[in-house]
Amino acid sequence: MATEEYGRDVGPHGGGVTGRISDWVNDHIRTVLLGPSLVALFVVFIYPAVMLLWLSLLNTRGFGETFEPAYNYERIFTDPTFWNAVENTLVYSFGSLVVSVGAGLVIALALNKVTADRLRNGYTTLILLSWAVPLSIVGVTWRWMFNGQLGVVNRVLLDVGLLSSTFSWLTTSSTAMAVIILADSWSRIPFAAIVLLAGLQSIPQEMYDAAKVDGATSLQTFRNVTLPYLRPSFFVAGLITWMFAFRAFAIPFSTTGGGPGGATETLAIYIHRFGIQLLDYGFASAVAVILVSVTLVVAAGYVYFILERMEEIEV
Amino acid sequence: MAGADLTNERYRRRQRVWDVVESPYVVHLVLFLAVLFIVTPLVWMLLTSLKTRQGVLAMTYLPLEPTLDAYSRALIDRGFWRAVVNSVIVASASTAIVMVLGTPAGYVFSRYRFPYDNAVFVFVLFTRLFPPIGLVTPYYRIVSTFGLLNTKTGIVIANVYLWLPLVIYIMRNFFITIPTALDEAARVDGCTKVQAFRHVVFPVVLPGFAAGTILTFLYSWREFLFAFTVSTDLQSMTIPVATFLFVGDAGIDWGAMAAAAVVSVIPSALVVIAFNRYIVVGLTGGMKG
Repeated sequence: MATEEYGRDVGPHGGGVTGRISDWVNDHIRTVLLGPSLVALFVVFIYPAVMLLWLSLLNTRGFGETFEPAYNYERIFTDPTFWNAVENTLVYSFGSLVVSVGAGLVIALALNKVTADRLRNGYTTLILLSWAVPLSIVGVTWRWMFNGQLGVVNRVLLDVGLLSSTFSWLTTSSTAMAVIILADSWSRIPFAAIVLLAGLQSIPQEMYDAAKVDGATSLQTFRNVTLPYLRPSFFVAGLITWMFAFRAFAIPFSTTGGGPGGATETLAIYIHRFGIQLLDYGFASAVAVILVSVTLVVAAGYVYFILERMEEIEV
Repeated sequence: MAGADLTNERYRRRQRVWDVVESPYVVHLVLFLAVLFIVTPLVWMLLTSLKTRQGVLAMTYLPLEPTLDAYSRALIDRGFWRAVVNSVIVASASTAIVMVLGTPAGYVFSRYRFPYDNAVFVFVLFTRLFPPIGLVTPYYRIVSTFGLLNTKTGIVIANVYLWLPLVIYIMRNFFITIPTALDEAARVDGCTKVQAFRHVVFPVVLPGFAAGTILTFLYSWREFLFAFTVSTDLQSMTIPVATFLFVGDAGIDWGAMAAAAVVSVIPSALVVIAFNRYIVVGLTGGMKG
């Protein structure tokens, strides 16, 4: 209809090549704005992801590669170091979840009590610092602090009198795991605190006013208003923290390298060891497929949650 | 009656405990301890980096003769200044590509319906939640096939995979907060759809765009897994990777390692201090939708 006013060859944006291009762009706005991203994601994500599935079906032990679909998957379940890695990953991810979301909640509640904006921003900035530290730097920092001979932790404990001689934190299985959980939490606490604080601040003031009118004490208000309203943020912070700790590579790898004797080898380090160091990429890919599957099941729960809330907001 | 009094009494006691917990003293004590926990490791790295080699071995708390010697050992003797330059190039290039691709994509998701739009959006979310460790092995092979091993390009491409879905998602959430009436008004005034996006809606979403940019830059700067897989060569490796390489040495030069660590933390720390509001918005922007 509109084109008729301009004649046959001239669109609403004028004639000539530029006019025709801008007409075409206008008619295909979605393709123009979204297309490049989807093409990019296809190249950098779908291509390697499909390759991952394909590699997992190859026997790459020793020289050459042969197509043996079940070989790697059968091998996984008979490899005792795989189950060791699974156990470590679970201890690590749930340990980090409890510590970082727990500490994040306490920090968020405290931050929410600070009424002076500048003071609260100051605290938030300082707490955000550890989030911004590159993950391998987190690792080497904690590695250095807990060093068996020269570490500052030993130094402090010796000075205080809690230790009588230096202790090798990172070459003792249980303490090595505790240290990497602590290091991981150190880097994840800010995220949990920020998400939970945002949740606290989104609670409508009317709810508190209503509780006050009803004569509720501060403890009752906390239990019956704050906590229920915080549940969605709690869910998001917990799920994201767990999911990212479950796949963590950089922090455990740079703190302990998976040692001593595999005591802190997480699935990510396990995959890296086979895929990149031993070049048994078929086997590494099969393990990766399992790790990805587990994560995607959990991620599906998260996506479902987002889509639910999306409708609330869009309508 | 007696029973009710008893529960009442218990309740009052709990309330009294709670009043103490909620008091400003406890609140500030908690925050002080939290800040102490967060900052101590960073301060310790800074102190270590200022010590002499003997000072590190002597295990003193403070550097007795503060010196920048460790920095010159790490940056000049080892040539890690090049890793710093690489990091700046990689993080800037990744951020530019991701923002240019991701911002219009987020706009489309916030405004237009098209076949399978929800499925495409869920695909983007899943790409974000996909564990990167899963892609490392195939990515390593692809990168070697195309001769991109030990190149900055190889690292930048990985960063596009890692952060593009996140930016699409965050930008979509920012665009959603802007009423579509704005686009319509622009269209009525004779803007093309692209002009409406570029000259009318985009300026309004600028704070969100800034948040996305800062977040992407920080994430690209601190990325380790792919940077480490693609390059451990001085020509192209990033500073977090270079710092990690100290760990492989026979007698680790902890002072120089701490210096390299401080150098890689400084830009992130400055960005956090300068733009903390944007970061908070960016981090929580992922959940407002």
